[in-house]
Amino acid sequence: MKPLTQSVDGQFAELTQEVPVNVSRRRFLLSSAGLAAGALVLGVGIPLRQARAAEQQQLPAGTRVPAFLQITPDNQIYFQSPFVEGGQGIFTAMAQIVGEELDADPASFIVENAPTGADFQVMIAGPGRITGGSMSVRFSYPVMRRLGALARQMLLQAAATEWKVAITELTTEPGKVLHGASNRSLTYGELASKALDLPVPDPDSVSLKDPKDFRWIGKSVERIDVYEKSTGKAQYSIDMKVDGMLHAAVQHAPRLGMTVGDILNLAQVKAMRGVHSVHILEGAGAVAVVAPHWWDAKRAAEAVQVDWQAAKGEEQNNVRHMPADFSSEAFSELLAKRTDKGQDAEAKGDAVKLLDAAAPEALVSATYRTQYVHHAQLEPPSALARFDDNGALELWLPNQAPDMFLADVAKRTGLPANKITINSPILGGFFGRHFLYNTANPYPQAIELARKIGKPVKLIWSREEEFLRDPLRPMAAVRLRAALQDKAPVALEVISSCEGPTEGIYGHNPQKVDETAVEGLAGKSYEIPNVRIAQDYVKNPTMLAYWRSVGNSMNDFVYECFLDEVADKAGVDPYEMRKQLLKDNPRLSHLLDVVVQSAGGWKRGPFTAEDGSKRARGIAMASPFGTEAASIAEVSIENGTVRVHHVWEAIDPGSIVNPAIIEAQVNSAVALGLSQVLMEEVVYKNGKPLARNYDMYPILRPYEMAKVHVSIVESGAKMGGIGEPGLPSVPPAVVNAVSQLLGRRIRSMPLSRESLQG
Amino acid sequence: MKKLTLVVVIVIIVGAVWLSNRTPDSPFAAQSAAVPSAALIQQGEYVARLSDCVACHTIPEQPAFSGGLKMATPIGAIYSTNITPDKQTGIGNYSLADFDRVLRHGVAPDGHRLYPAMPYPSYAKLHDDDVKALYAYFMHGVAPVAQVNHSSEIPWPLNMRWPLAFWSVLFTDGGSYQPQADKDEKWNRGAYLVQGPGHCGSCHTPRGLAMQEKALDESSEQFLAGALLDGWYAPSLRNDINIGVGRWSDEDIYQFLKNGRNKHAVVYGSMTDAYNNSTQFMSDDDLYAIAHYLKSLPSNPQLDGKAWQHQPTTVSTEMATQPGAHTYMTRCAACHGSDGMGREQWIPPLAGATSMLTHHDASAINITLNGSSRIVSQGVPDAYRMPPFRQQLSDQEIADVLSFIRTTWGNHGGDVAVDEVQAMRHDTDPASSDVIILQMR
Amino acid sequence: MELWNDMKLQINQQTYDVDVAEDTPLLWVIRDNLGMTGTKYGCGLAQCGACSVLIDGEVVRSCVMPASYAEGKQIITIEAIEQDDVGKRVVNAWVNHQVPQCGYCQSGQVMAATALLKATPYPTHEEISAAMGNLCRCGTYNAIEAAIDELAKEAKVEGTA
Repeated sequence: MKPLTQSVDGQFAELTQEVPVNVSRRRFLLSSAGLAAGALVLGVGIPLRQARAAEQQQLPAGTRVPAFLQITPDNQIYFQSPFVEGGQGIFTAMAQIVGEELDADPASFIVENAPTGADFQVMIAGPGRITGGSMSVRFSYPVMRRLGALARQMLLQAAATEWKVAITELTTEPGKVLHGASNRSLTYGELASKALDLPVPDPDSVSLKDPKDFRWIGKSVERIDVYEKSTGKAQYSIDMKVDGMLHAAVQHAPRLGMTVGDILNLAQVKAMRGVHSVHILEGAGAVAVVAPHWWDAKRAAEAVQVDWQAAKGEEQNNVRHMPADFSSEAFSELLAKRTDKGQDAEAKGDAVKLLDAAAPEALVSATYRTQYVHHAQLEPPSALARFDDNGALELWLPNQAPDMFLADVAKRTGLPANKITINSPILGGFFGRHFLYNTANPYPQAIELARKIGKPVKLIWSREEEFLRDPLRPMAAVRLRAALQDKAPVALEVISSCEGPTEGIYGHNPQKVDETAVEGLAGKSYEIPNVRIAQDYVKNPTMLAYWRSVGNSMNDFVYECFLDEVADKAGVDPYEMRKQLLKDNPRLSHLLDVVVQSAGGWKRGPFTAEDGSKRARGIAMASPFGTEAASIAEVSIENGTVRVHHVWEAIDPGSIVNPAIIEAQVNSAVALGLSQVLMEEVVYKNGKPLARNYDMYPILRPYEMAKVHVSIVESGAKMGGIGEPGLPSVPPAVVNAVSQLLGRRIRSMPLSRESLQG
Repeated sequence: MKKLTLVVVIVIIVGAVWLSNRTPDSPFAAQSAAVPSAALIQQGEYVARLSDCVACHTIPEQPAFSGGLKMATPIGAIYSTNITPDKQTGIGNYSLADFDRVLRHGVAPDGHRLYPAMPYPSYAKLHDDDVKALYAYFMHGVAPVAQVNHSSEIPWPLNMRWPLAFWSVLFTDGGSYQPQADKDEKWNRGAYLVQGPGHCGSCHTPRGLAMQEKALDESSEQFLAGALLDGWYAPSLRNDINIGVGRWSDEDIYQFLKNGRNKHAVVYGSMTDAYNNSTQFMSDDDLYAIAHYLKSLPSNPQLDGKAWQHQPTTVSTEMATQPGAHTYMTRCAACHGSDGMGREQWIPPLAGATSMLTHHDASAINITLNGSSRIVSQGVPDAYRMPPFRQQLSDQEIADVLSFIRTTWGNHGGDVAVDEVQAMRHDTDPASSDVIILQMR
Repeated sequence: MELWNDMKLQINQQTYDVDVAEDTPLLWVIRDNLGMTGTKYGCGLAQCGACSVLIDGEVVRSCVMPASYAEGKQIITIEAIEQDDVGKRVVNAWVNHQVPQCGYCQSGQVMAATALLKATPYPTHEEISAAMGNLCRCGTYNAIEAAIDELAKEAKVEGTA
């Protein structure tokens, strides 16, 4: 490593000079990090290609090969991914899918997140381009395969021209084109500069591989980013740096909606060593300090003594005014005491009539509660904003949907879209954190500061500011009733008093139930003849957000735990009950069998384990994002704390791309599911979150992790998602086990609220 | 006999009524209010800093000195009052003599007695000049705020205040501080600050059965000998090696009160309030005077026990089978070091820390459960704070790790019982990580 | 108390001159003043471990390490981890076991594992648990454990060979 004592300018000069045709993997990552401030990217050639490509004919999204691919003479394949990597392995999956049809080893791919633009709106019947909803692969799979096939076709065409032979005489093997008749070959790298200047063939002219010939799809191909991520070389938004950049830190109003009255110690803060300037950010309800170094900015921002003014006037743009007396505990009580019947999300038969008429011994009813949770991704949010001399704005920021962010930036700044460039570095975790959230993204603040001081500004929210402004997964209180007949539920009513995340973010439509409020409750596969699922809308004072697996993350806990209560009341084993209710559904019956077999058969317990601890197991299922999942958890209670020893999870996404990544994603989803059910809860008192860091908001630690046993089922059904679906069945499996162990029902999360002694 | 008893009873009642209704004398009774000089107001503000009025009479997000701080007592909660010069709800109608009586004697103009949460036994020692200056400040340096006082939540009959008159007679020694002729000026200034406005004894002197401080000056070895209060052990301020400042130099004491930290310790618990609002604003001369006075208070070897001898140990993974050491490794060592030595003045050592040497384990438990509130030095919040562990560690884990710390590196505070942790968890709340600055203007 | 100082820090065998407030956390000196961004900021409160570096061979959380305290000590960051034999093996194991997901915590995880294995080549389960306390929001804990188990086994085989 070279010492970095030279000036910032010096570093750039050095790096830029080193940029060769033969760009190393390392350098490319640095370039994607924005370190070279554009120069490196030009060196690689992608913008040039785009410029050239733009002169070509109008092409459907996902077909303009030169916009996506660049192949260097040493056979490195640079790929612009429409989806952002945040741990879910999408860059590797894209390399596999494109590489499969291109006939190039995924290991030769270097992937970064694509710029904005129509070319990258590749999702079929989807929202164009977002990384979320576990949609990336399943909504773009054929498009990305076709892209690989088109690129291969262009390489074949270039070789045919070069050798003056018919294209039909040519074949490929990974990374090269072969002419068998003359025993000649050319690498993709040798052909690329000519191939990528060719017009893109008609998208319908290429045929895709027969899946039985797949070389990489469906295999546990190694992830392409693990080395960089194991050696600190991977660069996230927070690591971005451009020439002449200053740092900024903010102090937000303690409650959203409050405004800055006065800064009581402005002169003192301005005089603090290392401070460049102090700014009031009216719109954000914040004070910012700009400094050459972030730590100095952060300390000064904390030192600012603001006379905060209570929120005035009506709420605008869905910026919610946090009441000074808001208590999450009291709000949960309020939800639990609701009696409103709500609005139907699903209705079949006449559940209410049957339930109202049911004899007490045939009736089960309960109220379940879920909690607010934080995303708590490890990388604190940041944004780097730079205006050039012509007033064009370039941004580096964490995001799950660059074009949506572009539109928002255009709206906020009044700049035309072509004067805005969005760079989207890899994410240090996201879990739903990096969508457009009106009050929870730092970039409007960074833009305002960069404009005010006329220099590039990187704004980082400290962990404390992040936990103050992180929008929350909503909480709910859910009232459930079931009527039994012949030891099976004949009627079920579920009313969730809550606000769904979607209506929380985009506004409530009184005519419509928010699907994300009831997913995991509505549309279940269990054969229950009379069902009513409803939402009773209650607006939250908090800002809301999507959180990994969205509504399913809380609703499957509610539904699947209540199902165990129903089974207990009916005197039927909960596993048998599920089997019975799914007997006409071969896909789910099989999934249940798989998870039970992987756990060595079904035993509910309590039983005594080899180490002498008393344990029990719980089972639960979920159908999130087009995928089916079933989990069994084994738990004990040690010193009043739940210990989850094992989680067996069977998952059926229909068809798969990378089993190793699926196993990793299920592990990850189990970890987040455990964290949620065991300990996570955002508590508000007096309108403020009690926790401003991980000290008061603990997340799952290494020793609290369960052993995870993943079974992948490839049923051949329509492809489902992978990033989120592993989560929702975990909390109910754990709670069902704990309830069995305790001999009493637990009806709220997290379990750390419960007194579990004895 | 019966008659005699009756007479005695009547005499006692009459005496009691007289005593409890008596208006104490004030040297200012005859004085009329004139508009004070700016210098006097400024002196008054300094006396208010010395006396730390703001810590009790201002709450966050509310105007300066408008009261409302809830103070839990065993018989019910009481609230600090509005001491702004508002005529309706504050003390705007107080004459200097009224002000004096309430400040130095605990008697309000309407004759009711103040609960001794107001440290008038200490303020009784204030010089007349300082009282006058303080009055000038509160009348002319503080903005009036209309804020009706919160009534106390102490139920009848405990809410009757006249018995406090007896308390007052019994436990205040009356009269402002009289310099001791055989001591130098610096010592006398230090003694005045510690005993009077600084009211250090309120926390650091043990209390008797009636909650009175057992001593109000250095004539008793109980004075500032360390005490348990509100879930904290306020250590001895005497020359005790283990539980006091015996290992500290004058300069160390100065650093601690000026910067909130020195190489031995960092302020925490209730001392953070005293530092944030009071001691850091004291002049260097006054701080050195305090240091000088405290260093003159002899140790009490009987209370202090065997002097700490550092036994250097590095906590390593090999010790991880011990539950306390395991928790120390994973939760404490990152800041306090595997050697327990902390990080210079920035993060305090646990080896030789008072809280780990005293048999009182309240402070050790409290700070582990609840962390420390932010230290704000010259307007700048601390770079490092102790986080609360109540959400992360069980009672057993906290007992184990504290037992480990209190028996390692030569520490001899001894083991911590699980039920003590449990009780403290129940009785306390975590410290806020917010930067709280109580404004005086 | 604003104490600024010219300091000399020994990082990855290089000497760097920095002018920072004494209590500036080492993390920000490394990231901002010196531009080495492999060491990550996650919490600033010694809770997550993303900022772990080695100081005189011991793993410390640089977010709570005052720069002045690190003066005169040998600091190793993730940037130089492969120059260390144990560190290189740890990185290889991380790749073999495909440990990282989002990767943000992994610099710290690799530093913690390296420190553990340098001090304790054959760690027991208890020792691993005491040394590997860093948070991972992606839940890569099982992969981390598998990687360390393999390293411990390798060390044993080499040790007995």
